[in-house]
Amino acid sequence: MSASSREIDAGGRGEPDRHARGDVDPRAWREETASLGMWVFLATELMFFGGLFLAYLYLRTHDPEGVAAASTHTHEWLGTINTAILLTSSFAMALAVHAAKDARRKAAQRLLVVTAAFGLAFLVVKGIEYGMEWRDGLVPGLRFTLAENTRTATLFFFLYFVATGIHAVHLAIGVATVLWIAWRLRAAALPGWRVDEIDVLGLYWHFVDAVWIFLYPLFYLVNLNA
Amino acid sequence: MSYLEEGFTLRSWLTTRDHKRIGILYALAITVFFFLGGAAAAIIRLELLTPQGDLVSADTYNKLFTIHGVVMVWFFLIPSIPSTLGNFLLPMMIGAREVAFPRLNIISWYIYVLGATFTVGAVIAGGVDTGWTFYTPLSTLFSNTHVVAAVMGVFIVGFSSILTGLNFIVTVHRMRAPGMTWFRMPLFVWANYATSLILVLATPVLAMTLVLLATERLLHVGIFDPALGGDPLLFQHLFWFYSHPAVYIMVLPAMGVASEIITCFARKRIFGYKFMCYAILGIAGFGFLVWGHHMFVSGQSAYAGMVFSMLSFMVAVPSAIKVFNWTATLYKGSIEFTAPMLYALGFVGLFTIGGMTGLYLAAIALDVHLTDTYFVIAHFHYIMVGGSVMAYLGGIHFWWPKITGRLYSEAWGRVGAITIFAGFNLTFFPQYLLGFLGMPRRYHSYPPEFQLLNILSSAGAAVLAVGYLLPLIYLGWSLFLGKRASPNPWHARGLEWKTASPPPKENFHETPEVDAVPYAYNPEEKLA
Amino acid sequence: MKAGRPIRAYAITWAALLLLLALTFGLAHLKLGAFNPVASLVIAAVKAALVALFFMHLRRARALLVLFALVAPFALAILFALSGADYATREVHPAPWVAPRGE
Repeated sequence: MSASSREIDAGGRGEPDRHARGDVDPRAWREETASLGMWVFLATELMFFGGLFLAYLYLRTHDPEGVAAASTHTHEWLGTINTAILLTSSFAMALAVHAAKDARRKAAQRLLVVTAAFGLAFLVVKGIEYGMEWRDGLVPGLRFTLAENTRTATLFFFLYFVATGIHAVHLAIGVATVLWIAWRLRAAALPGWRVDEIDVLGLYWHFVDAVWIFLYPLFYLVNLNA
Repeated sequence: MSYLEEGFTLRSWLTTRDHKRIGILYALAITVFFFLGGAAAAIIRLELLTPQGDLVSADTYNKLFTIHGVVMVWFFLIPSIPSTLGNFLLPMMIGAREVAFPRLNIISWYIYVLGATFTVGAVIAGGVDTGWTFYTPLSTLFSNTHVVAAVMGVFIVGFSSILTGLNFIVTVHRMRAPGMTWFRMPLFVWANYATSLILVLATPVLAMTLVLLATERLLHVGIFDPALGGDPLLFQHLFWFYSHPAVYIMVLPAMGVASEIITCFARKRIFGYKFMCYAILGIAGFGFLVWGHHMFVSGQSAYAGMVFSMLSFMVAVPSAIKVFNWTATLYKGSIEFTAPMLYALGFVGLFTIGGMTGLYLAAIALDVHLTDTYFVIAHFHYIMVGGSVMAYLGGIHFWWPKITGRLYSEAWGRVGAITIFAGFNLTFFPQYLLGFLGMPRRYHSYPPEFQLLNILSSAGAAVLAVGYLLPLIYLGWSLFLGKRASPNPWHARGLEWKTASPPPKENFHETPEVDAVPYAYNPEEKLA
Repeated sequence: MKAGRPIRAYAITWAALLLLLALTFGLAHLKLGAFNPVASLVIAAVKAALVALFFMHLRRARALLVLFALVAPFALAILFALSGADYATREVHPAPWVAPRGE
């Protein structure tokens, strides 16, 4: 990723042939292809969450007071701790990708395990939170016993569970994949193709983190100054 | 050794990563669904022969048009050209040996099959009666049919579209042969690239919408439920944010096919090549700005309606550029009326009628009269059936020698094309008139004064059915008894014609080098 | 890439993210009126941008990747703006709720 390649690939530089002729490094070519593929996929993922954000915007603009009242039932301390956990996991993931690119296999493997551990910690906290919300009767459709302003509160918690639930599924997939790759790194020397796998996995992980960065203020920080 | 001879077992097909074989797997799957959706349409047209609802009950009728819509939109039209012809041809047209992610490509086919299973399951279990649009609150509160299973099928099949789109985008960016610059790419590749952008950006919004819909139906709480302070129009915004661009998913690749065929059989370089490229991107981009014209009478704000109306008129500009350029390509061309050319010309004519009547519907005042009438039905069938299906069949004929290595019967091909064109117009033109007279869609009975036009339409449907069965017969026949095709029977110019028919597994024995603009046809040159 | 320098950049990014988290959490406790949601969303956007630019290497990425990183936010902006055009100008006339029959 040098400065000279900082341009749209608009010329007729067909890559497969270039490396057939030996003037392109097949490993670098594969890394760039994989990361383009992942960025396109992340565009898709962002659009997937986008529909949910529009639904939230609808609710928030139509009944701001109702949303504010409902949001006081979320556990802002747990949400904040979880945000910190997830941001830290991204830091570990960035270091893991860096180690992999430096071909430091052991370090990459350890950092991946650390990343997954933070991811799991997030899911555990989230699980505890869900448990508390179940106990408090905040689960629309299944167990919803909130007295005041039920209409907007129901929709608020409906969106809360859909959004954080889908986010948690994404994170669980991320944790499983990180552990799987860490496990495969245990003995073998680090061949080139695994570096691009880890690189791409890192992009996915950071994206899931970025989604949470938006979910956090939308669900936890609405009305803390009451 | 051709890609067809790489292995003859079922296993060799079902585990293939060859984009050409995956294209054929898709072709087989969507053909099954085309005839399933067609069968539903046939019963609909039979019912509408008489004003009374005498053949099927109102409930069954609702289920029939829902099956027809769901199957034709998501299991035939969306994957039709990109996933079959696109998969087969796109890598070859840019001089690549494979797509960027071959394993993802076969996974996308399996996802399609999984989604199809859910949809077929929903049909077998008793059907769905919401219409293909799944409007709330009908789909969430009132319908007693298998909405969730059908929605699951559509949700799942969306991911196969997304993976195909992702694959095409990365393939076009990363796999082009040396010398294959952006402005040397065939328009078919441009069209599929733009389509892929829409697939990748619009489909996930539908996926989330369907998740919300299914949750709402299962838990009886939801953001689309007005009783809870939710908004049914939110569903429509989200749904049409996908489903209007989806129209361009269907028609852009068709435009790509028509461009390839017309320039070949006019023996002339396509007129205004770069404008065609920009028009393709323009249509893909504008396609995202106009969804609200489906909601003029839904209770949407009148001001938003005006904005959407104006934007909708603007889509006509790039579309018109394309029609003008096809016409200008024909001008002083040395035109050969082969079967693919008949399909392509049919496409241009029918697309033009469909597009022009789209402008009627983009005008708010007129739309109030025409919404939910047969005028709308006729309009989008002119685009989707007259446009996309004609182009798909034209493409199948055009590239049949390349795909199968066999020549089909040209005489029968022309008979088929003309039959379909005639049958299509007889079916759908009367529906414009019916709609203008005020016959609403989605009813199984109607006032007796509409009967004559409905009989014409149903008669046309019978002709159309024969027209669609014909290619199945003579193309199938050609597989076994057709003459062997040479590498380039049409003397066409694309890279796909520079390799054997059928191509070897790796497409090209040597990576081609490109040093010229596409479509270097010579006007004086005739087919051999 | 020299070892050490990117690690420092990652560490600074991480520290900045945690600081912003503390800031947004703190600001949410103050009475700022309409500025509350604005502040929390702007901070969220800054945090997401930091993650994208540094952790996801968008800062040094080829223009093509930047383009694909921006295309989805742009498409979402269209979704929000045009739906918003409806919501901002729509008159709502609520009708009394009628329960579905047969339930």
